[in-house]
Amino acid sequence: MSSLPTWLRSPRVLIGLAVVSLIALIALFAPLIAPHDPNDQNLVSTLLPPAWAKGGDAQFPLGTDSLGRCTLSRLIYGARIAMTVAIVAAFGAMIIGAILAHIAGYFGGWLDWLIGRTVDVWMSFPPVILSLILMVGLGTGLRNVILAIVLVDWTRFCRVLRSEVLVVTRRDYVSAARLIGFSHWRTVTREILPATLPLLITLISLEMGIAVTVEAILSFVGMSVGSDTPAWGQMIADARQYIYDAPWGLIFPILAIFVTVLGFNVLGDGLRRTLDVRLTETQRA
Amino acid sequence: MILQARDLTVSAALDGERVPVLRDLSLSLEAGRVLGLVGESGAGKSMVGRAIAQLLPPGFAVTAGSLAFAGRDLVTMDGEARRALLGREIAFIPQEPLSALNPVLTIHRQFDEHLARIGVVARDRRARMLDLFDAVHLPRGADLLGRYPHQLSGGMCQRVLIAFAFASRPKLVIADEPTTALDVTIQARIVRLIAEMQEREGTAVLFITHDLRLAAQICDDILVLYAGRAAEYGPAKPVFTAPGHPYTRCLQLANPAMHGTRRALYALPDRMPGLRAYAAIAGCAFAPRCPHVIDDCTRAPPPFVAVGTRHVAACIRAEQTPKISAPVLAPSDDPAQSAPILEVSGLGKRFFSGNLFRRSSVAAVDNVGFTLHENEFVGVVGESGSGKSTLARLIVGLETPTEGRIAIAGHHAGDPDFDAHRRRTVQMVFQDPQSALNPRRRVVSIVTQAMEIGQATWEERLARAGLLLREIGLPAEAATRFPAQLSGGQRQRVNIARALCAVPRILIADEIVSGLDVSVQAQLLNLLASLRRERAFAMLFISHDLSVVRYLCDRVLVMTRGEVVEAGPTEQVFSAPTHAYTRALLAAVPPDDASDVWAPSGTQA
Repeated sequence: MSSLPTWLRSPRVLIGLAVVSLIALIALFAPLIAPHDPNDQNLVSTLLPPAWAKGGDAQFPLGTDSLGRCTLSRLIYGARIAMTVAIVAAFGAMIIGAILAHIAGYFGGWLDWLIGRTVDVWMSFPPVILSLILMVGLGTGLRNVILAIVLVDWTRFCRVLRSEVLVVTRRDYVSAARLIGFSHWRTVTREILPATLPLLITLISLEMGIAVTVEAILSFVGMSVGSDTPAWGQMIADARQYIYDAPWGLIFPILAIFVTVLGFNVLGDGLRRTLDVRLTETQRA
Repeated sequence: MILQARDLTVSAALDGERVPVLRDLSLSLEAGRVLGLVGESGAGKSMVGRAIAQLLPPGFAVTAGSLAFAGRDLVTMDGEARRALLGREIAFIPQEPLSALNPVLTIHRQFDEHLARIGVVARDRRARMLDLFDAVHLPRGADLLGRYPHQLSGGMCQRVLIAFAFASRPKLVIADEPTTALDVTIQARIVRLIAEMQEREGTAVLFITHDLRLAAQICDDILVLYAGRAAEYGPAKPVFTAPGHPYTRCLQLANPAMHGTRRALYALPDRMPGLRAYAAIAGCAFAPRCPHVIDDCTRAPPPFVAVGTRHVAACIRAEQTPKISAPVLAPSDDPAQSAPILEVSGLGKRFFSGNLFRRSSVAAVDNVGFTLHENEFVGVVGESGSGKSTLARLIVGLETPTEGRIAIAGHHAGDPDFDAHRRRTVQMVFQDPQSALNPRRRVVSIVTQAMEIGQATWEERLARAGLLLREIGLPAEAATRFPAQLSGGQRQRVNIARALCAVPRILIADEIVSGLDVSVQAQLLNLLASLRRERAFAMLFISHDLSVVRYLCDRVLVMTRGEVVEAGPTEQVFSAPTHAYTRALLAAVPPDDASDVWAPSGTQA
């Protein structure tokens, strides 16, 4: 018998966790790793290909953009924005969504109706348009990007979790806890939350992937952080004009987004498979 | 000979090892006879049926012996030939009638498909269907054909499936617990119907059941299975009136009686060994639980000993079996003399459905009134949908009554401190321990959950859990387990312990022994009886099983359609019922004695 919990033994979780923590570490230690300041312009060497390609310069391992800024350094600093948004926005959306989901699923009745209809109305707005409108209203900046994502994506948590809360609430052990004299707060935190937590964790992990994509979309249209802060979406937007002369500038930030989102999704999928009670409860006996 | 098994052995592959599930099983079934396979869950009853249909679960296989149907070997037969037999010459009546029918197709579509498969030409099919519905006493057959399964009751679905099974005039019908999912009054009619069809067609029937009394009534021969081996085999009457194997005897004594003096239940210790454990037992598999075990029993598997004509038992001490008995219970004091603790009057609960404009309501509980005295056990009996469970939920406060009054030990519903008072006084034990125990808590934490609200330290809770576990008869090691690591009976004990932790004066128990094996049920009933002596509490015991209520309860309420139609001392109600419904309910229970005539009223579902 291994003392490791099941979820840590799943290859999906391990791969996902490795990718995600690698990017997180890069983001955390960006000033130490990056070869250049991401905003340093070197107008002598613009649109350089990567170092291994013909005409590359060893000084710029992944080449430079139209202003001669180091692509690698910009990618590394871009990871900071991506990870910050992913983590803070996903947790923010989770907190709002989970609280409302537990209220709706546990108490039912008109509260459930009200929250359910609010989610319906909210979800009828196309998410990208909604976040763009929010950004126009709120103005650019990291805090507002996070706020926009939270305000758009809490519904996802709320809807999925509500049905899970509903299922758990109907279990007799929840009734038993009430009969023993547990308050509503204690019943929800001690009896229901532990049962919905696996789903919650899975959803967070998937939401982080979504947040990375949304932030890239917003910075692509210049609605995210200011132009002095490097972000992956912005890099794609910049490189778009030189797509035929310097495709590298486009490929690297796309790859970065792709790998990050894939990492989060693989992690989320692995967690879902190992934490889902319906799949594992029988095996634990 | 329709069905013959010789030394049939079925093994399962468990972690690379071959573990026998059925061992050296021999049986024979002639045309026109009913063979009952009885035993508790895990005995291998269903494996016999599955081996015949070659529907063994993955990893299971027939590893030795032979199994022949009408002289043809089923084990070596190829898939094509077997498919030709199944559904035509061998038919099945399933356990869950509702899930055996396709919910999106009409009865006509499904019946038509079945008849086409067994080779009835298209123009004869409709007439054939109506004939068969007539035979299984389904009125308005033509009307029925256009319906979907969910529009029929469980009993009607089972009749339809019996019609399916007998449509091809099969030589052999395998009925695997065909009435377990049905109410008692329906069960009686379905069993009658199977017997009637069997006589009419001269079919051989393999009847698999856990209910000894039911088997005694409809089977010609009985095979008692224990841990994959035949314990006893013989004609039904002698097997039940003079059992040769101690297991058969113990099972009978574990079943509470419907008539005569009330006896304590003979509760076998522990439970049947699991697959792996009994593969390791060298001698008699029943030896660890047997009251007459001697050293010789544990050395070699016991040979079959003749205990009567065509009646054999796998026991070397079969002559000792009749000596096993249970003591007569002393009549308890009349608790009706003590003070009332729960008074209910005019209680009603209506459930509303529909929308703002078209509302309809249905009364789940209607004008129910009764009194529960201190230290009194009152049974509530009735079939599914009679409102028993809703009544329980109303009393504990999980549902709010739409009308009527509840008073608990002097406090009336509506008093400002009523809820707090009710919480201290009343506890509930839930029906399904699977759902009633939080799978993420350990046993300690579950049983002492009531102490979580106070300032109890973990040490205090551990100590209390130790006491409670001893009281309910669980080993101290169980404290650190999760519910999934316990057996069904153990889980139900934990379920009871949690309710007892709050030291309630009233316990509401909703079907707490249904779905458990007879020997486990007997252990739990004895536990409740002894808890009552030590703790002194009153209990409202909800059950569909009349014999259990007779064993445990001083008084009984009979409910149907939300109303109490009869109430009184258990003995009086059961021996001289006044309401027609009570009489029908009582008549539907197979009699204790195999030689008594069973006459359930009516034949229509």
